[in-house]
Amino acid sequence: MRNVFLVFRRDYLSYVTAWGFWLGLAALPILMVLGAVVGGFAANSAPVRYYTVIETGDTYSRQIEAEFDRSLSDSLRQARDQFSAIGPSVDDETLDRFLEEGGDLQPKFIQVDPPAESIDALRPWLLGEQLLDGPAGQKPLFAAIIVPTDGSDIQYWSEDVNVSELRLKVQRAARTISRVRVFADANLDPGIIDRADAAALRVREQRIRTAEEQVASGNEVTLADRAPFFVSLGIAYILWLMIFSVIQYLLMGTIEERSNKIFDTLLTSVRLPQLLAGKLGAVFAVTATMMSTWALLGSAGLAFGLATMSDEMSAPLLAALGAGFSPQIMIPAMISFILGYLMYGVIFMALGSLCDTIQEAQTLLSPLMILLMLPMIMIIVAFNDPTSPAVAISSWVPLFTPFVLILRMPTEPPLWEVIVQIGLMAVTTMAVLWLATKVYRAGAVHGAGVGDAVDWIKRLIPGMGPKQARS
Amino acid sequence: MTPHPLSMSHATKRFGSFLAVNGLSLDVPEGRIVGFLGPNGAGKSTSLRMALGVMTPDEGTALLFGAPPTQQTLSRVGFLPEERGLYKKMTPRSTISYFARLKGLSGRDATMRADELLETAGLEAFAKSRNSKLSKGMAQKVQILSTLAHRPDFLILDEPFSGLDPVNQQALEDLIRAEHERGATILFSTHVMEHAERLCDSIIMMAGGEKVFDGTLDDAYNVLGRGARIGVADNFDLGKALGEKGFRARRDTDDTDTYWWRVTLDNGMNAQDALRAAIETDAAINGFMPDETRLRDVFVKLAGHQDGPRNSSVTDSVEVAA
Repeated sequence: MRNVFLVFRRDYLSYVTAWGFWLGLAALPILMVLGAVVGGFAANSAPVRYYTVIETGDTYSRQIEAEFDRSLSDSLRQARDQFSAIGPSVDDETLDRFLEEGGDLQPKFIQVDPPAESIDALRPWLLGEQLLDGPAGQKPLFAAIIVPTDGSDIQYWSEDVNVSELRLKVQRAARTISRVRVFADANLDPGIIDRADAAALRVREQRIRTAEEQVASGNEVTLADRAPFFVSLGIAYILWLMIFSVIQYLLMGTIEERSNKIFDTLLTSVRLPQLLAGKLGAVFAVTATMMSTWALLGSAGLAFGLATMSDEMSAPLLAALGAGFSPQIMIPAMISFILGYLMYGVIFMALGSLCDTIQEAQTLLSPLMILLMLPMIMIIVAFNDPTSPAVAISSWVPLFTPFVLILRMPTEPPLWEVIVQIGLMAVTTMAVLWLATKVYRAGAVHGAGVGDAVDWIKRLIPGMGPKQARS
Repeated sequence: MTPHPLSMSHATKRFGSFLAVNGLSLDVPEGRIVGFLGPNGAGKSTSLRMALGVMTPDEGTALLFGAPPTQQTLSRVGFLPEERGLYKKMTPRSTISYFARLKGLSGRDATMRADELLETAGLEAFAKSRNSKLSKGMAQKVQILSTLAHRPDFLILDEPFSGLDPVNQQALEDLIRAEHERGATILFSTHVMEHAERLCDSIIMMAGGEKVFDGTLDDAYNVLGRGARIGVADNFDLGKALGEKGFRARRDTDDTDTYWWRVTLDNGMNAQDALRAAIETDAAINGFMPDETRLRDVFVKLAGHQDGPRNSSVTDSVEVAA
């Protein structure tokens, strides 16, 4: 046990004193801050574009503007509804007042007077050869919308074919105008459309609960209802990220020991299982160190946030945390995390023991990386629908179970499925440990290399046959 | 009876159809310096790895201090492998200390021992440098010091001189002698015969995966038959005269004014005895050239025809009771 600890300690210290560890440690908070900053910047820094409408009268001009206003109003209402669980509620009147006053919202598309009346004459402005003066300064003309007088299709001219927002607004405006005209032709009041829209009943999402729970928690869908889903997604993603990045320390460390010819010295001091245990433990501790640091930072941020929040805001958040980090989620998640780490950790170590260089390792790693992309796809699928059959089926594949079982937990799968899947995962982990130890021994003790691994695989494929026994 | 530091009995190791070591039996008695000789690919390293339990023999046994290699017995052994390396990011001090701790020293003792060894080896200035910054010679010294750090009772050194310059080779020879004087038993493999001649009490020679010799240096020299050349000024029958004194001599090539006789030295005879006997015959001696039989010649004779693949035993072993 002492030697396991010594191997563990040496490896752990060598990892945590490396630059890569500190970069990795800082990466998540930095990425989160950058994500928020860049996301906010991207949202606020969308370029302001000029467009012009050439038509007889101003029907389309006004309707396109109205579509932008309606879109903004809808977005704000949707955001208000989504965040009502954790934020102060904003009534419709306040929102309407905000929209009427315009707030400090900068429009992304500004309508300007046409500098010319035909598409040929507009070409220099549309191609950016000439600039237009407008509320946002001198800019090229982003698009010109020409409404023919003969009733033929509206022409949307622009050099940029990737940005479709304006084109879609024009399409929507055309539909609204058409409906108004059809209503008018039928001697109906066009305002009936708006009144009909306003009178439509809202769909209120409610969560079905037992009668007792309903008394205690009500029917509303709260953040606490969604928290287990987000937590499971987060854990699955962190496990995937850890295996994809941190566990490669094992690979690199093993390659270093093999290429530096340290194995023989080590193996006369430490038994092979002790060496493996120490190394796996060290990388697991590195992972734990990273996660604990992030958890501490997150907790500190959360504690600070909660301290500055009103009870009205902090209570749902605390309830959500309690629901997200419940034993029902966390116990299977921790088991999956540990078994998944062990399973992939020893695979990486075994591969490392066969390689003298990183280049050699890449040859063997490529299939494993492709294999690792599948759980990532499952995470994406589960993000949209955690009850998807693809998620359920893949959770039965032991190599994917560590990731996918976590994703399934918020959907409350049958207990027997969870137990059997954990059992299968444990058996597979033991089998992988056994096989990987054999490969590790072959690499570390007998000097087996990448070529030998290819031969082993060929022996498993009928018809390929063994090339030659290793000498 | 105290068990030998190393006893191997009919140890055999195969890699697929390749017979790396075939039925190796040997003893390394306590307090000896034993040379483990053989050409490249003779099976020396595989034998040593079996002795240390890094590899398990397919047949036969390997015992350290009378017991199979376990962590307990291995803690009395210091091993310097043929393929050596260091953790590049560690320092010499932490490297020596780490391996000493793995062998059972406490953290404090291991660090003190590392400092002591580095000072003795003149590396104290580099104690806290990264291993990657060391010259090759320095790195090899650190590896050797790591092997000695826990004051092992039995040192197994696999090709310890390879890669060292002559100055460091001499320093290592001195170190081996010092460890021997401390009481350590030493087994080292080499294919540089001069080191074995200068250091060893006895030698074990491997070729083609099999032991081809096991005995003292004198026994090894006798494998070739030693002799001396004695020149006389006239046509005196030295063969007949020496024959009466128990020596065998025959005419050899002649120079202009010297008639050379070749004397064969049997076991227990030496060249000085032959010269003394020749002088006693009243012959006019004007030349004396004792044969300089070297271990290299014995090595070439015993191991020189052992190249090539092997699947079964092809050699005869010469074993002399030590």
